[in-house]
Amino acid sequence: MRVVGLTAGLILMHLVLHVALGLGREAPDLFVVALLLASRSMNVRSAAALGMLLGLLEDAYSMTSFGSNVLAMTVLGMAGAKSRDLFVGDSKSFLATFFLLGAWLRIAIVWAVTESAVRPDLDQRLLVESVLMALYAASCGILLRLLFLRGGRAS
Amino acid sequence: MAGQSTRNRAGSKRDFPVIIGLVLTSLILLNLPESAQRSLAHSVRQMALSPFIEVNGMITRAEARARDFDVLRAQMDSSMALIARQRTLAEENRQLRGVLSLRQRMPSRFVAVTVVRAGTSGSESVFQIDAGEDLGIQPFNAVVTEGGLLGQVQVVFPGYALAYDWSHRDFRVSAMTVDGQEHGIVEVARGAFRAQDRLVLRGASFLSDLPDGVELLTSGRGGAFPRGIRIGHVSGVAETSAGWSKSYYVVPSVYPGEATHAVVDLGMDRNLIAAGADTPAAAPLDRRP
Repeated sequence: MRVVGLTAGLILMHLVLHVALGLGREAPDLFVVALLLASRSMNVRSAAALGMLLGLLEDAYSMTSFGSNVLAMTVLGMAGAKSRDLFVGDSKSFLATFFLLGAWLRIAIVWAVTESAVRPDLDQRLLVESVLMALYAASCGILLRLLFLRGGRAS
Repeated sequence: MAGQSTRNRAGSKRDFPVIIGLVLTSLILLNLPESAQRSLAHSVRQMALSPFIEVNGMITRAEARARDFDVLRAQMDSSMALIARQRTLAEENRQLRGVLSLRQRMPSRFVAVTVVRAGTSGSESVFQIDAGEDLGIQPFNAVVTEGGLLGQVQVVFPGYALAYDWSHRDFRVSAMTVDGQEHGIVEVARGAFRAQDRLVLRGASFLSDLPDGVELLTSGRGGAFPRGIRIGHVSGVAETSAGWSKSYYVVPSVYPGEATHAVVDLGMDRNLIAAGADTPAAAPLDRRP
């Protein structure tokens, strides 16, 4: 129940920070954090569906690469849920890696499926900006996990 | 453990068609025709994001209302001084047009709008304006602030429209110097990072020698933007194509992130055209010497 509440809260907070306040990159990508947190407690189908829904919201204002976030978030949801079969436990170091890789993977997929004429340069986007953005999201994810989901995972 | 493994395998088999379906749906969405993508995005905006966009617009309007009174007073005084200076110019212009048998220039119509930025990752260079087709806004109308050209309307819906600013990769505008001696196309030159984006004037003649600070205006060529809107000023030579042309860096007159209010230039009043008033007689002035 705590995971559901936290996921809903993060989605709402992302919409408030990014859309209502228009903060853009100054605010962390809480959609990714919410999806990665939730996917560890969901089955693959539900995680992929949640990812698709969040991707649609993210792409609503995209005029050049509509659908890229939908695909990226769907794949990320699946990968997050599948990670439970491969990695057991919720240690801090694992979660840090999980959030960091997840946030970076999402940006990498969006970059890969965006038309080459409109996407930013590879080195600038994937090696610099994306790492910083992933670090930002991962820090928030770890903090939120420690603050709200301490003492075992709830359903 | 064996039982758990069997259960996992059965679950994976059940999940497989659904997962394939979701991934295929994502790929279809990515490759839908542009009109279908726009309709879908419009539905998502209206169903899920409109309350948040409404709040964004309210905050922007509240900030504008709270702006320092002295600044607004100074801007109004400047505008009044400009109008007072040009009052006689208008009369002179009318008389000269009469002498040269040129018809009166058509008046443009403007709609004041609030600029709202969504801030989502896919919305870079895109902004929403709170006026749509019901107010006569059409795709490709110019969006202008007090500083100069901000961008261009792209998609129009009832009640709102989406536009992109000059930092978008597809943005192009035909430009000229204030004296009309040099012409070219202004487009965005991406920096290593988005904060380093700037404009560049391409296609200026090879023998041109524009010093830093020379102001650039829209030339009106091609009809996409009306003539005479400020774009920015020259800031050094970008590159030279031996014997052919020169490119210059341009410092934009408007920074997209700062724009909260703008006007949309709707172009010539079609009612006057229908009434047989005239067409703009600007062709002689457009000719390069």
